[in-house]
Amino acid sequence: MDEEDRVTPCDVTTGFFVLGHCGRPAVAGCPSCGKPVCAHHAGPDGLCPECADRLAGGPASPYDPRWARGYRRTYYSESSRAYNDTTWYSSFDDYDRGGFDAGGDYSFGGGDFGDGDGDFGGDFVDS
Amino acid sequence: MLAVFWRKQRAAIEGFHPLHQALVHQQGFSVSLPPADWRALVASLAQHQAHVKRRKWRLPERVPLVLVPLIQVLTEDMRGKATLSIAADLRGPDAPGKAGPQQRLPARRPVRSVAQWYAVDPWLRIRAELRDGSVLDVEVVDRVRYRKIHKVNSRGKHKWKTKTKTVRRIAVTRRIAKGAAVARPSAPPPRWIRTRVKSGERTVVQATAKVLANYPEAQLPQQILQVSTETFRWTRRTA
Ligand SMILES: [Zn+2]
Ligand SMILES: [Zn+2]
Repeated sequence: MDEEDRVTPCDVTTGFFVLGHCGRPAVAGCPSCGKPVCAHHAGPDGLCPECADRLAGGPASPYDPRWARGYRRTYYSESSRAYNDTTWYSSFDDYDRGGFDAGGDYSFGGGDFGDGDGDFGGDFVDS
Repeated sequence: MLAVFWRKQRAAIEGFHPLHQALVHQQGFSVSLPPADWRALVASLAQHQAHVKRRKWRLPERVPLVLVPLIQVLTEDMRGKATLSIAADLRGPDAPGKAGPQQRLPARRPVRSVAQWYAVDPWLRIRAELRDGSVLDVEVVDRVRYRKIHKVNSRGKHKWKTKTKTVRRIAVTRRIAKGAAVARPSAPPPRWIRTRVKSGERTVVQATAKVLANYPEAQLPQQILQVSTETFRWTRRTA
């Protein structure tokens, strides 16, 4: 077993329509939901972004960088209803809860964090 | 006093992001930028209300209502070097150049005359290069029918009024990445959305909605996202 196999990837869901999992090496589990979270995604008290938003209370303003992520679940639930397609929501929900599964992701080529984008801009350095 | 107040607000505006200033002074822009630059614009827009109170320099309503949410959503699905292009013209259908020729409709007493014309207002065009290799185009066009009615009542009093009716066309086109798996969704879209699919080296899915714009503008982003949804249902992952 080489070094990489022992690293637990960060399980935070990224994207809106094109979902992905962060995949950076996790540093801890979210104390609220247990998700493995990387250093970039761990908020105050080590919470994952969604738990941190939930505990902060209410949806952020659309100007807030966290807004789209907070709105995502509402969007999937509303569009699922509009399309009368329950699997649209459940496939998001499964994905969001589901644990890291590289095979189930869209293939992004270099992986979801390959060129350093994502929620925190270009600050990720693959070391 | 007021002059000092306005000078301060003008200075604040001059410190805003250039596109933010374009929204204040021209009610629109047309530009292609990477996600980080769009986020900088959103951060600038967030400062507007705290520093600018003058009505004349207010942001168009569709900036916080439509533009900002769509920028936030689309940049979530983009890589750092990809491009998001937005052409926004938020001057509204009454802006010069948008109205077509007038035509007289038959009128019956007490109506003296009815003039009718249409204005076409393509107020939003977006192209986003998404991280799954697909390219998303969003276009919103309002077509407004105006009827200016001239009436004379029984006491000989003249009255004019203008009635409008707006039909909105929302078109979302997604050019799916080469070689990506495409499958027809198990259920059709809602009846107000039409889908067209063109297969080829890159499959193209287009979802179009034509709706009577008689609902609150606050529902616009949800509606645009609802139409967009159809183009993503064709490449959903199978559970
Ligand atoms: Zn959590
Ligand atoms: Zn992460």
